[in-house]
Amino acid sequence: MKKLIVIALLSAAPLFLSAADAPKKTIAITGARLLTVSHGIIENGTLVMADGKITAVGESGKVTVPSNAEVVDAHGMTVYPGLIDPETNFGLLEIGSDENTTDTAEPSDEIMPHMRVADAFHAETELIPVARLNGITNAVVAPASDDTIAGQDIFIQLAGADRDAMILGRDVALAMNFGAEQRRRGSHSAFPSTRMGLITQLRQSFFDAQDYMAKRDAAAKKDEKPEAKKDDKAESKKDDKSDTKKDDKADKPFKRDLKLEALIPYLKGERPVVIGVYEGYDIETIMKVAQEFHLKVILNHVTHSQEVLDKIAAYKVPVIVGSIYDFPRANERFDAVYTLPAELAKRGVKIAISSADAGGPVSSHSSRNLPYAAGFAVAYGLPYDEALKAITLNVADMFGFGDKLGSLDVGKTANVVLANGDPLDVRTSVKQVYIDGAAVPMVSRQTQLRDEYKK
Amino acid sequence: MHRRPPLRLRQHRPILQIVLALATAIGCLVLPAVCFPEQASSPPQDIVFKNATVMTASHGTIEHGSVWVHAGKIAGVGTSVNAPADAVAVDATGQWLTPGIIDPHSHSALDSDVNEATSPVTPSMHMIDAFDNRDKALYQALAGGVTTELLLHGSANMIGGQAVVIKNKVGLDRDAMLFPNAHGSIKFASGENPKRVYGSRNQLPSTRMGNFEVMRQAFEDAKEYMASWDGYNAKVAKGDKDAVAPKRDLKLDALADVLRGKLYVQIHCYRADEFLTEEAIAHEYGYKIRAFHHALEMYKVADKIAPENTAIATFADWWGYKDEAWDAIPWNAVMSMREGVKVALKSDSNDHIRRLNQEAGKMVHYGGATEDEAIRMVTLNPAWIIGVDDHTGSIDVGKDADLVLWNKDPLSTYARAQKVYIDGDLFFDASLPGLGTPHFKGVMHDAGGFGGEDGEDGQ
Repeated sequence: MKKLIVIALLSAAPLFLSAADAPKKTIAITGARLLTVSHGIIENGTLVMADGKITAVGESGKVTVPSNAEVVDAHGMTVYPGLIDPETNFGLLEIGSDENTTDTAEPSDEIMPHMRVADAFHAETELIPVARLNGITNAVVAPASDDTIAGQDIFIQLAGADRDAMILGRDVALAMNFGAEQRRRGSHSAFPSTRMGLITQLRQSFFDAQDYMAKRDAAAKKDEKPEAKKDDKAESKKDDKSDTKKDDKADKPFKRDLKLEALIPYLKGERPVVIGVYEGYDIETIMKVAQEFHLKVILNHVTHSQEVLDKIAAYKVPVIVGSIYDFPRANERFDAVYTLPAELAKRGVKIAISSADAGGPVSSHSSRNLPYAAGFAVAYGLPYDEALKAITLNVADMFGFGDKLGSLDVGKTANVVLANGDPLDVRTSVKQVYIDGAAVPMVSRQTQLRDEYKK
Repeated sequence: MHRRPPLRLRQHRPILQIVLALATAIGCLVLPAVCFPEQASSPPQDIVFKNATVMTASHGTIEHGSVWVHAGKIAGVGTSVNAPADAVAVDATGQWLTPGIIDPHSHSALDSDVNEATSPVTPSMHMIDAFDNRDKALYQALAGGVTTELLLHGSANMIGGQAVVIKNKVGLDRDAMLFPNAHGSIKFASGENPKRVYGSRNQLPSTRMGNFEVMRQAFEDAKEYMASWDGYNAKVAKGDKDAVAPKRDLKLDALADVLRGKLYVQIHCYRADEFLTEEAIAHEYGYKIRAFHHALEMYKVADKIAPENTAIATFADWWGYKDEAWDAIPWNAVMSMREGVKVALKSDSNDHIRRLNQEAGKMVHYGGATEDEAIRMVTLNPAWIIGVDDHTGSIDVGKDADLVLWNKDPLSTYARAQKVYIDGDLFFDASLPGLGTPHFKGVMHDAGGFGGEDGEDGQ
């Protein structure tokens, strides 16, 4: 550990987690207040991590601490699962005003499902260590909201030997958006300039993809059949390819359409689509389309949905709610948005909370403030355990990592945070973050600057 | 959008703003209530808050404390006070009482008229001319406990305009919201914004060299102007009836006020080297810098700035939105404070202004500020920067009764402002239905949710 810190201090480059490469020790955290998320709070608990996994959780005294374990005495400390930010642009944006460091959106068209965040994710970003120090251990990385279909998200771990080790899941969800922002062509008198245009374009794309899927499947079948009679006929075709006739068209090699192909898993309902939408009436519009095509929906934002909350509950879809710092309309009560997580949870909706700022996610420099958004939702009525779930287990569930992350349970990945108090309070300091069962050096470019100038 | 997105994303925004502006303009024509708000009756002569945790900001925290308000002023504070028997009693058991939160850097309620970005030197702009006292941002800030704001010109210009200080008396008319007899302030800028705004038009300045040269030239012009007036005044004093007064020039008048020390100089400035240059120019021309705003690199040179008695108004933890915010660290405020710099936290945002108390709470985490030091960063210290610390910013006898009652420790994430008093009058009460505003019954305007982090929005 000490050695790792030294390496970290000497290295000007931001760290991935060098610790991930180190042999994994067995670590026992004893005497801590354990916020398990899945099964309540253990006031005086012990947690054991080995081989990157949580191997024991329970009351101190009832948990056997392995003899080879490094024991961390955590009396007076609070321990909880690593936090998961459900919407960031980590690795897609470094300095907000510098376009050279920005790969957040491809705005040349509204329908861009074939844009893959995995292709742009810059794992060495300085933003990740900064967030990690406040206990964020996992995140969804999504493109910006310019497009109706902006691309496909990745699910990351905020430490790892390299980029590929940090990406736990590629193309885990389709990033969609609907509302005023996507009508940008209106200023150039080009289609689509209205919500009518956006919806038409979107439905047409889905129909195109369905059609493509049918043709592709048919072509695949055809490919299979000739396998049996992979005959001289096929061979001869190859020769006189130049004068292919209309009748032979179907026998041409099937040409992939990357854009339409990208939509298929989502049209089959195999993976979720995350729909960023703010207004109640926009939610109703886009949900009609989502139902028409049987999409597996996660709603995102819904900050001006106060009048359709029951309807949202009836959709039976999970919701990433907020930013709760989004502004209420003029003449609305000041807390119209602050109270949304509580109002949705009250209606049985599974909620997550992201670190997005007012008006939507533009940069993830403040991902480290994720727990405070959850805490503020508690101030406005959300039960505490729901708030903690909204930044841990619920997020993991929504994106298909519920069996691996998000709670202190035996068998889960040992992403664990040790802090000197309530994780949702701004005054609390995180003392140690463990990812994959290894202590992460508590160093970022910012701590390096702090230490350089400290008297 | 809140954080500064890539520039091309921002192109969508003016459309929204025009729509909103039209909507509010139409609302004003159609709805007479816009122009005639109701106003509540006058507040009680005496109020006494009992059994609160009183965070005074000047002399520590008093558990089970009482505060007596008489005629809009604080008349007593302590474990017991001599309030008259007929004082309206507020049982504050289990609650916290703090001075009103003060934001020394806001661009709220200016209906996007933040920057007169047509010249790098515009000192005769007065923000009061753009002040829209019905902007919803004022209400939303009030509900977060904000009682005083310094509304500043933006940072497009090296020398911007003159600020207006308001008391957040939502529901009163425009002039009743002005902070009485507040000291004048003028906004200066430096660094990326001026050089980008004018450089993109192929005008001076397009570099930091150009930035500072523009400033020096302005002061040379002002010196000449002052000399001509001094000469004229001397002639008049000698009884010279033929003396011809120089032509009044509003721009040079304002710059002369800077040189004469009549205006507090508030400078948008990020980088360590630029603090030093700004101080050197201030020495050269003989004015004082009241505060550096943003000041994200102050931790690098705090020991050199502390003797200048220049304060900073900084962010708790914002960073990375532009190159000159790349070396920002959340320990800046406390590290600078430990070197003797007076530190305030500010919003520069219609979002963060609503929870500056939490930004102060973060300082307990980042650098280990005491709760007393932390609360001072959003009360007494910003009051000093604005120049109203004799009147507000702490719970002391004789000061204005600008007070916030919180349900939880205001430095925690969980605190909600329950009641907000300004000059002893209740302007926000969360227990009331609807907006919770005893004085405001009309229709609010919406300027589109200003959220820029460095005062350049509205360009």
